[in-house]
Amino acid sequence: MTRSPRHSTVLLGVAVLVLAGCVPDRDDNRDSGATTIPDTIVIGSTLPLTGTESKTGGRFKQGYELAVELENADGGIDLGGTKVPVRLNLLDDTTDQAKAVNLAQRLITQDKVNFFLGTYSTAVVEAQSTVAEQNKIPYVNGGGAATSIYAKGFTWVFGTLAPVANLASTEMSWIDQQQAAGKLPKPARVAIVWENTSHGKDFRKGVQDFTAAHSGGYQVVTDESFALDGKDFSAILSRVRAAHADLLMVDAHLPDFITMQRQYLSSDMCSKVLTYGARGTESDARSALGADGVNYILSAVWWNKQLGNAGLNKEFVDKFTAKYGTDPEWYQALGYEAARSLFTAIAQAGTVDKEQVRAKLSALRMDSILPGGTLSYPADKGGQADYPFVVQQNLPDGSSPIIYPADVATGTGVAPNPACKG
Amino acid sequence: MSRWRFLLVFAAAMVLLWIAPLVLPLGDYTHDVVGLTFMFMAAALAWNWLGGYVGQISFGHAAMFGVGGFVAARLMLSSGLPFVVAWLAGGLVAGVFGLLWGHPTLRLRGPYFSIATIGVGEATRLVATYWSDFTGGSSGLSLPLAGNPTKYQLYWYGLYLLGAAVLISYGLRRSRIGLGLAAIKEDVDAAGDVGVNPTLYQDLVLFLSGTMVGICGGFYASYQAFIDPQDMFSFDRSIGLILMAVIGGIGTVLGPVWGAVVFVIIQEFLLATYSELYLGLYGALLILIILFEPLGLTGLVQRVHRLLLRRPATAASSGAPLTADRRPT
Amino acid sequence: MGEVVVLAVSAVLLAGFYAAMAYGLGLIYGVLRIVNLAHGGIIMASAYVTWQLFDRFAVDPFAAIPVVLVLFFILGMGIYLGLVRFLPRGPAGAVQSLLLLFGVWLVIRNVVYLLFTGNEQVIHTAYATSSVRILGGSFSATRFAVFGVAVIALIALHLLLTRTYLGKAIRAVAQNPDSCTLAGINVERVYLLTFGLGTALAGLAGVLASTLFAINPSFGAGELLKSFVIIVLGGLGSILGIALGALVLAFAEVFAVYAVPPYLTTAVGFVLLVVVLVLRPGGLFGQRVLR
Repeated sequence: MTRSPRHSTVLLGVAVLVLAGCVPDRDDNRDSGATTIPDTIVIGSTLPLTGTESKTGGRFKQGYELAVELENADGGIDLGGTKVPVRLNLLDDTTDQAKAVNLAQRLITQDKVNFFLGTYSTAVVEAQSTVAEQNKIPYVNGGGAATSIYAKGFTWVFGTLAPVANLASTEMSWIDQQQAAGKLPKPARVAIVWENTSHGKDFRKGVQDFTAAHSGGYQVVTDESFALDGKDFSAILSRVRAAHADLLMVDAHLPDFITMQRQYLSSDMCSKVLTYGARGTESDARSALGADGVNYILSAVWWNKQLGNAGLNKEFVDKFTAKYGTDPEWYQALGYEAARSLFTAIAQAGTVDKEQVRAKLSALRMDSILPGGTLSYPADKGGQADYPFVVQQNLPDGSSPIIYPADVATGTGVAPNPACKG
Repeated sequence: MSRWRFLLVFAAAMVLLWIAPLVLPLGDYTHDVVGLTFMFMAAALAWNWLGGYVGQISFGHAAMFGVGGFVAARLMLSSGLPFVVAWLAGGLVAGVFGLLWGHPTLRLRGPYFSIATIGVGEATRLVATYWSDFTGGSSGLSLPLAGNPTKYQLYWYGLYLLGAAVLISYGLRRSRIGLGLAAIKEDVDAAGDVGVNPTLYQDLVLFLSGTMVGICGGFYASYQAFIDPQDMFSFDRSIGLILMAVIGGIGTVLGPVWGAVVFVIIQEFLLATYSELYLGLYGALLILIILFEPLGLTGLVQRVHRLLLRRPATAASSGAPLTADRRPT
Repeated sequence: MGEVVVLAVSAVLLAGFYAAMAYGLGLIYGVLRIVNLAHGGIIMASAYVTWQLFDRFAVDPFAAIPVVLVLFFILGMGIYLGLVRFLPRGPAGAVQSLLLLFGVWLVIRNVVYLLFTGNEQVIHTAYATSSVRILGGSFSATRFAVFGVAVIALIALHLLLTRTYLGKAIRAVAQNPDSCTLAGINVERVYLLTFGLGTALAGLAGVLASTLFAINPSFGAGELLKSFVIIVLGGLGSILGIALGALVLAFAEVFAVYAVPPYLTTAVGFVLLVVVLVLRPGGLFGQRVLR
């Protein structure tokens, strides 16, 4: 070969570079759906039905399907006098971000679903909601709580989960009551220990904001984050111990909660108030730590079955138990409410036009099973619902009554932890 | 395949792929997925330069993918640079980052190097998740939807990325550097004796590979419009690149391209139906390939080809892994 | 001062578990020169076996150790006979073995997932939260038990390698397989038994893990990575080195809180790994082949 071997490659490279400036485009106005009344209203959705979050995904599925079933029981959604049945097109995103995004893309652009119900777990919702915003389709989710999802100025994304910061602040409000009653020291020394996820970050922010607003009453003495699936928390715990914290405010998911609580118990630590965020009331916790190992742990969730004594709540719990034979937890309740709020907005709009339904969603005020009794997606919160949590406490008799807010309480909380000596 | 024939086929393929979406009635979804697949092909090819040509199996390429993605995203968010420039800048930073850990670790061979890359990948992931000022931490970064290319346009950018990666793959293999790399793969010490500087060659390849994977990270950031460190730097991402290269034919020029096609088909179509089987499916595929056809699809095609033509085994085609004693003349 | 002592004891206890989880990986690497990427999957599988024994037959996890050892010894020999045996020897085989055994890991994870779903599982023994007071601190009794088992395993392994014919053959093969063939040692058989033994040791680690942590099918990834760090710190292929490496890693992680935020303590191990690989490829304590 006599010619310079690089000659042609260079030529071709240049050609490619020239071409690179040239990218076809088109009017990206993908049609927003006819305004005529369809035969069925198709709701696209993905959930983690397999993979690490499969258990939770399955629960949300129950909530979504119950809402669809109840809606279709009387013919469907009323669109200006015509009842149109709802069909759920639900795919499995395997708790995988890229997959959740791709499937949402497929449902929206290929299968042309009318509306979208979101998936579970914050990071996946965060990724998926971008697709909804890009494609201008109303996206209601019951599985993404991080405030960052709603802080981007998105107008098509609505969330039924109140921010995790409210979890911390509702717990702190109860603690504040106990302090005012003289049961806890003032100022109380607070240790914040949080998993480094957006859940943990929001939790930390909730505690920080509360203590900053009540500066005389609280003093943050430890503030540490940890990585998921830790094997040894002795270093963090010994810091908490050295700081003589009265309140140990932890946010952790189940495996870390179990590992940390075991170490906490076996190192003879005892805080006047102890919480692991949403953890503590589940049966897994009792079986992993023993009934004594979870006593007096404070926890807060978005919804609890004990709210279900009357009205909408009773109806939901009864219908759920009749259909599935088990008691609903907050996952099913939030899935159910997410779907129901979407259906309500569609009925109010009287059309499947995406823009009109979006407008109705953002103006929605709906009677709800959630704490506070009303569900709305306030624009100043970026479309994220905002309501207090229900605080529960594990008592030695094995019950976990709601102890706060007072209007829904089913029991009285105990502070400081009577098991602590001295 | 002679160089001219290769270039001809390459140019024809590029042109066909370039006009395909304009004439074929591809659905929006297929169109977008194909664009993303181009990017995966480019990244898998880039992994193969180090893993296949040199034989240094990296389990840490997600580190460069993530660095490229986040640098590009930061640039797009703060400076308003055109996205292509941001991708390239992200790629370069990723390449330099690769050199930073690669220069010392590339002296290690075989499993030692692989283990080191696992350490690098995981440490990078943890630091990136912690460094929230830069990466947004566990909440990630969202790109503005305005000023970013649409998914429709990204098809062609993906195609250019793939084109560049294929040309480099071919050029690297056919150049003197390629011979040097093959010599290093066979025997590092002997390569040194015949005047190949292993450190320089390997550094160069890792830099190239890291840059390309970093650019792919930038592309991915634009495609997703939201990135977070746990996903960008995940161990699974490094594994994905390895799987594509191994399925397609590790060390071959174009194998990773076919591997990426299989990978995406499995991801998109089979898994929608049998999602609880996906790990096992990849696992079984890996086992079968390693035991029966170490050159993956490329090896399989070569085998069928030989059977059909009843030709004796030669390594004449450009798909065969190049070793020092089989250099093209 | 008190805090330092408490942390030191915690670190020693953690090191016990770390050492136990790295023995199997180190042994297999030392003899076959193969990095067993399925190691984490085997730890996870054995934790599930222990959980099933506890859940269904109320077998105490520590009493389940002999059963698990036998079961996983057989499993390991099965993996060797069915798969690993066919790999080419030498550097090419080393690379292929990474991918092959990674495939095995994926399959194990999938099988466990299909059998037991992806939910977290926990073993709650009566003594799970009981404590032992020592040196002015209070520590988990289970962690002491785990530490004890790890030390016993270390001694047993040491005796096996130095006092028995099999152990001597294993060490000889680790040093020079070719001359062993000449000396009439059945190298293939030694490989088979070593792979079985290494897998059984990973099984032991799984039992210990199940008493301390919640498990799910992805459990084991972190354990695998840390096992790498440990065998590299200890000089790949030396059993006593592994124990020392585990101690170094545990102390580094626990005491790193004085230097970096707790969140980054895990990263300390990985940085240590890369630094040691680059600066002292023979390990912190020098390369000693299976002594």
